[in-house]
Amino acid sequence: MWQEKRADLAASFALRRRSLAKGWYKFSRNPLSVVGLVALVVIVLATGLASYITPYPAHAGPYTNFKAAGQPPSWEHLFGTDRIGRDVFTRVIFGYRFSLLLGIVVLGLGVAPGVILGLIAGYHRGTWVETTIMRVTDVFLAVPPLVLALAITAMLTPSLLNEMFAIALLWWPWYCRLVFAVSSSMRNQFFIREAEFSGASEAHILFREMLPNCLAPILTKMTLDMGIVILLGASLSFVGLGAQPPTPCLGTMVADGAKRLPGEWWSTIFPALAIVLVILAFNLVGDGLRDVFAVEEV
Amino acid sequence: MALLEVKDLCVGYRIFEGHLRVLNRARLEVDSGERVGLVGETGCGKTTTVKSILRVLPIPPAEVASGEILYRGADILRMSHRGIRDLRRREMTAIFQDPLQSLNPMFTVGTQLRDILKDSMGGRGRGRLSRREIEARCIAALHETGMPDPERIMHNYPSQLSGGMRQRVCIAEALSREAQLLLADEPTTNLDVTIQDQILRKLDELVDEKGTSVLIITHSMGVVRDLTQRMYIMYAGTMVETGRTKDLLAAPRHPYTQGLMESVPRLTGVGISDGIPGRIPNYLDPPSGCRFHPRCIHVMPVCKETVPEFFSVGEGHVAACYLYRS
Amino acid sequence: MPESILSVENLTKCFPTKQGLVRAIDGISFVMAPGDTLGLVGESGSGKTTTAQCIVGMYPPTSGDILFKGETIGAAFNRRPKHVKGDLRIVFQDPGSSLNPKRTIKQILSVPLAVHRVGTSRDRLARMKALLEMVELPADEYLYKYPQAIGGGEKQMVALARALATNPSLVLLDEPTSALDVSVQAKIINLLIRLRRELNLTYLFITHDLSLMRNVASRVAIMYLGKLCEIAPTVEFFEHPVHPYTKMLLSSIPVVSDEEEALKPHKAISKGEIPSPVNIPPGCSFHSRCSERGDFCAELDPEMREIAPGHVVRCNQRYGPEGE
Repeated sequence: MWQEKRADLAASFALRRRSLAKGWYKFSRNPLSVVGLVALVVIVLATGLASYITPYPAHAGPYTNFKAAGQPPSWEHLFGTDRIGRDVFTRVIFGYRFSLLLGIVVLGLGVAPGVILGLIAGYHRGTWVETTIMRVTDVFLAVPPLVLALAITAMLTPSLLNEMFAIALLWWPWYCRLVFAVSSSMRNQFFIREAEFSGASEAHILFREMLPNCLAPILTKMTLDMGIVILLGASLSFVGLGAQPPTPCLGTMVADGAKRLPGEWWSTIFPALAIVLVILAFNLVGDGLRDVFAVEEV
Repeated sequence: MALLEVKDLCVGYRIFEGHLRVLNRARLEVDSGERVGLVGETGCGKTTTVKSILRVLPIPPAEVASGEILYRGADILRMSHRGIRDLRRREMTAIFQDPLQSLNPMFTVGTQLRDILKDSMGGRGRGRLSRREIEARCIAALHETGMPDPERIMHNYPSQLSGGMRQRVCIAEALSREAQLLLADEPTTNLDVTIQDQILRKLDELVDEKGTSVLIITHSMGVVRDLTQRMYIMYAGTMVETGRTKDLLAAPRHPYTQGLMESVPRLTGVGISDGIPGRIPNYLDPPSGCRFHPRCIHVMPVCKETVPEFFSVGEGHVAACYLYRS
Repeated sequence: MPESILSVENLTKCFPTKQGLVRAIDGISFVMAPGDTLGLVGESGSGKTTTAQCIVGMYPPTSGDILFKGETIGAAFNRRPKHVKGDLRIVFQDPGSSLNPKRTIKQILSVPLAVHRVGTSRDRLARMKALLEMVELPADEYLYKYPQAIGGGEKQMVALARALATNPSLVLLDEPTSALDVSVQAKIINLLIRLRRELNLTYLFITHDLSLMRNVASRVAIMYLGKLCEIAPTVEFFEHPVHPYTKMLLSSIPVVSDEEEALKPHKAISKGEIPSPVNIPPGCSFHSRCSERGDFCAELDPEMREIAPGHVVRCNQRYGPEGE
């Protein structure tokens, strides 16, 4: 009996490993995707270990040193210092924290409800359930995201939390639509019908039968969305509605430094480049994921 | 000289798991005015063969390892793009399994027929036909296929027609071009049996009239029996038996062919055999020697060593099996 | 006299479409005894698939009754009692889409077992292996494969194993081998015949392949445009076909030998297109293509009459309007 159970687990595990190996093969065929993945891994690790690897971790908090203010890049300060003497390099690494956190929280909050609603709407295609859900989705989609985010954040006090909340509110409709497209076309396939005729519960059909078939577009979109969310977060911070000082935030850093262009270019350019790098990395990985999930024809 | 000759064609595909060695010295011949059938089951390589002849193989992942495909002596695989284009315009034409995929849903039947007619006359030696003449020819082509009310059909979209009518349009498109060689890939598989019967009879009549050579690819023995004079049986990338259709069907010699014939349900009600044991081979690691040997009840040691040549088993009838090595 | 396992009485199913009301099934009736294999044959628009769909509960019928083991089940599946769902199973036509491509065979087979609580969760694994063995597939290998990794014939065997997981009495087979090669079909058909004997199953076999039914079915029924044309025991059906459409179908079958050719009726060559179900011809719906058409066939829609024991036909030419 135990033997059987062990053999069963071993076989399932072997199958999973094979699928991952095949996925990696398809992903790695495009060198750019691998570059993007490496960049992401480096950024995530650097962000996680920020306190340990940055030269001046204290500069991420309230710190001023006007004597060292406005210094150009040097060996001591790789990216130079900003107008109150804080090391830009350190603040960029810490700034990544908030960008990534923003992305994770927004997607975490926004994707799940969108996916669930999309599955339900797709399964009940043609009924009032679908109509209600999709029309509500349409309403949310009709509002331009930046405007709504601005409005909400301005209504509540500007803070990172509120920024996340505002953006998350805007994100779920896209996933709802995406999943609806896949699930509604899948709804009449024989394997779904079979589950229904067998007597499986609706929850089983939605989450065990339909959802695995939707994962590919969801994961790809999530990866590409990280870039968009980070950019949106940076834009909100740029206009002052995001994280408040002294919290290091890439968007705010760009805004502050912009006033000093072209003189002290390093306090704007490096944070800007950092934003570009992380978005590019996510996009490259997203493209790679699309290759992984593409169905091969032989 | 044969009209079409496939000589020792070896084609493979490169995929994640490795190299699929599909076609293994495939051989085929169609003479002028002849009607030849190519019968095989799923995965035997018949579609790869057709795609190679039409030169529409997806390269990569496909690759032609070796072999030639000669059309009137000229190698299709090494022809220039212009040469192939001329060939497709004037000499070769094709009908495929799914007429819904072969016809453009955005244009009416009339538009598509006219375009094809105009294109087939384009290129070198441009013939000028007036609009009225083109229209008349299109309607005549449709009428020839047994289409009811061709003038009205010219204005219909493919989605408005039934499966049988769509296939008639495809046949009209294919035969309006006065081509020498018609490649038909499972032309009636998707159709209802009464409609299939009508279409096959009509096709028979038309190719007879025009003297077109036909290569028909199918998995149905019954279709091949009605329509062809000679046939090939294909298994795992090679042709294993060929001969006159009636002879081959009445007395199949290769063990695979015999297994197939026993599996076909007969109207006499004698029951169906248990099929052929085993599965089609894995092309990543195909069996050595004769690719059928793992499933063959008459297997001998020599079968595992080398691929058998064609041995004569009757007049104009050969089988690639060591059982018949004299 | 064994009680009938399935009784369809005057079943009608209509679908509203843009072009009008389509009567996919129009008043069909037939009975199946336990152990029967009824071959339901027809071409596009015949309604054979819709019949299977109504029986399995995909739609509620527009009118008429379906009785399964004496119990009325004419309702959509979500209103049917659970035991019926386990007792009446279906194998679909397209092996490619009847198995979820993102689930392993093990996960696919576990669904009916879990839903119907077959055995405890501990012996479910053993039960799945037994099911695969029953359809002659090596269990240890196949449980952990995805559907894409196996061939069409094997997918159908898995679909069959899934259907048998709940120990059903009646299995609907909707063109189970139409998409398969002939040698694979042979294997599956023999499997079906063996399992029918071993597990006391009854089959409703839907197909367009009459040659297959000649070797598998105990009775054959022909449908055309939503109505039944003829039902008869197999041998009687093939040796003495009565309905002109039956004869047309038989004459269109591509056969592989001269002796089979001799068995085909030769005066009923196929002609004409199958009318669209939106535009069913008046009177007898087959009259526009019928080679034995009579004067009143365009006006009078015939009734089903028994002309020999177990042999029923619906044709004006077999009996006059007053009934002979």
